[in-house]
Amino acid sequence: MRPLRPASLAAPVLGILLALVPLVAGRNITLLNLGFFTFLYVAQGLAWNILGGYAGYVSFGYAAFFGLGAYTTALLWLAGWPPVLTYPVAGLVAAAFSLVVGGPTLRLVGPYFSIATIGVGEAMRILMLNLDRITGGASGLNLPTTVPSKTWFYYAALVFAALAFGVAAWVRGSRFGLGLAALRMDQEAAESLGVRTAVFKNLAHVTSAVLVGACGGLYATYLQYVHPDTVFSFTESISLVLIALIGGLGTLWGPILGAGVFYAVQDYLQTSYPTFHLLAYGVLLIFILLFEPKGLAGLVGRAWRRTRGGAPPPRAAAGAGVEMAGPGRPGAGGPA
Amino acid sequence: MSAALVLDHVTKRFGGLVAVHDVAVEIAAGQITGLIGPNGAGKTTLFRMISGGTRPSAGRVLFQGREITGWSPHAVCRGGLCGTYQLVRPFPDLTVLENVTVGAAFGGSGRLGGRTPRAEAEEVLEFTGLAARRDVPASALTLAQRKRLEVARALATRPSVLLLDEVLAGLTPAESQQAVALVRRIRDRGVTIVMIEHVMRAVMDLSDRVLVLNYGRLIADGPPAVVTSDPQVIEAYLGPRLEDP
Repeated sequence: MRPLRPASLAAPVLGILLALVPLVAGRNITLLNLGFFTFLYVAQGLAWNILGGYAGYVSFGYAAFFGLGAYTTALLWLAGWPPVLTYPVAGLVAAAFSLVVGGPTLRLVGPYFSIATIGVGEAMRILMLNLDRITGGASGLNLPTTVPSKTWFYYAALVFAALAFGVAAWVRGSRFGLGLAALRMDQEAAESLGVRTAVFKNLAHVTSAVLVGACGGLYATYLQYVHPDTVFSFTESISLVLIALIGGLGTLWGPILGAGVFYAVQDYLQTSYPTFHLLAYGVLLIFILLFEPKGLAGLVGRAWRRTRGGAPPPRAAAGAGVEMAGPGRPGAGGPA
Repeated sequence: MSAALVLDHVTKRFGGLVAVHDVAVEIAAGQITGLIGPNGAGKTTLFRMISGGTRPSAGRVLFQGREITGWSPHAVCRGGLCGTYQLVRPFPDLTVLENVTVGAAFGGSGRLGGRTPRAEAEEVLEFTGLAARRDVPASALTLAQRKRLEVARALATRPSVLLLDEVLAGLTPAESQQAVALVRRIRDRGVTIVMIEHVMRAVMDLSDRVLVLNYGRLIADGPPAVVTSDPQVIEAYLGPRLEDP
């Protein structure tokens, strides 16, 4: 699972190329918008994947973090803060909430956890709809109209995505990530080998909540309007799950590929056929679950290996190991 | 001879069923202690109470003089007591080396002496004879290798007491012999071992002392030869002697 050389170069190169886009096509508002939303989803997909993919806790409640972040930024902005300074606060508010929710829900496993998070997400949406003194309720909140340029938003979202990628890559390669992988596969065994599973699950939850909360803040600034039904929507939660699943659950590059496809499909189809994109996701999901559990990232990885002239697939490597085990074994009974 | 592990009258009840009844034992450091008994005698429950999987209904567990009753498994492990599972449970998608690295990275915290968990794991693989398979996913191992991995992983946490739950079950005689040699070499490193085992020959060969559980009660305790000739033990395994008509 060590990162490959070309793969570790790919991220910075891709980042730089994307950073050059506004210089070349700075007037193309559509392109800048597409970039903004894609990066925003990339960042959130990467964040979601830390808990959902690395630790194996599939949450359907991330809209709560997104919404809290959005409203934190909205309220602070209305109170006179510059938006940029509100993003860390938005992240912290979401993180605090993730601790409150994670304490009880992360004790559940598998589908029970997922269902509990649906409840939390929906409860937050309805709570926020009814707290109309603070949230504006069903009419939402109009935010200041003085906003930076589309180019600024493009870069801001790119920075968020890069940040999320950095965090995800670090987690994956660290002792923390090893602990998450262990608890994903067998919680009890991980625990008995000294992994503090409860602490690790909550850390993963908090880490991803910070990022998603900050993304919510950026989104609120962009739209200049927040409404409980949009920022706390179940669709928002589902989107993150879909992005990670389509891209490749638990892979580093999955959410990037997933978000790219996800937003491109949505953007292209939603304008012409308003609900058709849902069908497209459904079909994509079925194909992925049936043929490539590692999603688009797995597919790309497979194609990559094939074009490079067959680095031995895992099965062949295992076969070689069997042969080597023969002479290796007598050593086991060697000098004590 | 100091006691590495003390079970102070531990009892475990599951509802009306008494799985372990008032067991009081002191395990001496540096020894191999065999724990035998018919199926359902409470051996694994006893292990779980020691390693933190379940809390005793009554009684205390002391490890190196410290009470660890009701500690969570990760705390017990980091304190220096680690157990393996009867049904092997490797992390299937991790390689053999990564599996062992988990133990090295998280168990017995702060006792690596500046070495990386990976280096520690590699040494353990060498010691347990799994080095040749280090980069294979754990799911590709044979049963014997998985059992060995289970031991390697536990060993990587640098325990002073190791609980082995049926590491020989299901192995061929040749594999079993290798495993017996491995257990002996672990003991020679100074690790205290308590092992649940059904393979009687191995128990007789390895153990300095044998404990026998039956219906949750400790019915015999002593050197292997003495225990196996104990009429109570024979009765527990084979049933009561038939009276002459």
